Amino acid sequence: MSTGDADPAAGDDEGPGLYVESTIIMTTVRLVAPFILTFALFIMFHGADSPGGGFQGGVIAGSVVMMLAFAYGIDSTRQWLDVRVVSALASGGVFAFVGIGLGAMALGGQFLQYAEFEALFGHAIKYAIELVELGIGAIVAAVAIGLFFLLAAGFDGVAEGDSS
Amino acid sequence: MTPTEWGIVALALAGAFFGGVAAVGLVRLPDVYTRSHAASKSDTLGAILAIAAAALALQSGLSTAKSVFLLLFMFITNPTAAHAVARAAQDQGIEPWTADEGDEP
Repeated sequence: MSTGDADPAAGDDEGPGLYVESTIIMTTVRLVAPFILTFALFIMFHGADSPGGGFQGGVIAGSVVMMLAFAYGIDSTRQWLDVRVVSALASGGVFAFVGIGLGAMALGGQFLQYAEFEALFGHAIKYAIELVELGIGAIVAAVAIGLFFLLAAGFDGVAEGDSS
Repeated sequence: MTPTEWGIVALALAGAFFGGVAAVGLVRLPDVYTRSHAASKSDTLGAILAIAAAALALQSGLSTAKSVFLLLFMFITNPTAAHAVARAAQDQGIEPWTADEGDEP
């Protein structure tokens, strides 16, 4: 390879801790990641009136973390992105969704009846839908990241970062 | 036909040609390194030429800008993905195919 680092084919029993980063992949990931996150938000905000939405945008946002994990190593990404952050993202999305839904009921409408928010702020239907899409996006992104970390940890559910 | 239309047709045909070359290479070549070589180079070029044809054919500001962004990111990410695949294959200790193994390519 062009980086000239230590011969990676030498050890056949290398664990995930011995992962050698590639300069090419890290540079590309660093260059592309902000654009992908922007694109994920773009997709989420387009859910109201065009193709797109919270699910698709959330998967794209979650794939950024997978890309970081492939570039920088899964264990360092796991340490960088604490599991509490992922859990908070998922539960925050649930709270946003339920809050919007029950808030409409508190204002006298049905569950998720966005028009009730017109009393609080203008363009209520549009903004309430966007908030719900953001909540769904947060849930989907967090679930995708969590599933990825779980799959990467192996079948016993234990992270094997400090085994080597 | 206008020169723009000739350009669109030429770009689309060239893109289809390189896409076909990539597909043939993916099927015919013997191992992961040569296949990744065929897929990354030819397929990137084919996709980029096809997207360039689309960008030229759309001729409206926003869609053309989106196509150009797509083209740029294709240019960056596609070779990097091929590099990652080849690198992972080398990490796994896969030997490159050589002619004296006697395999029918």
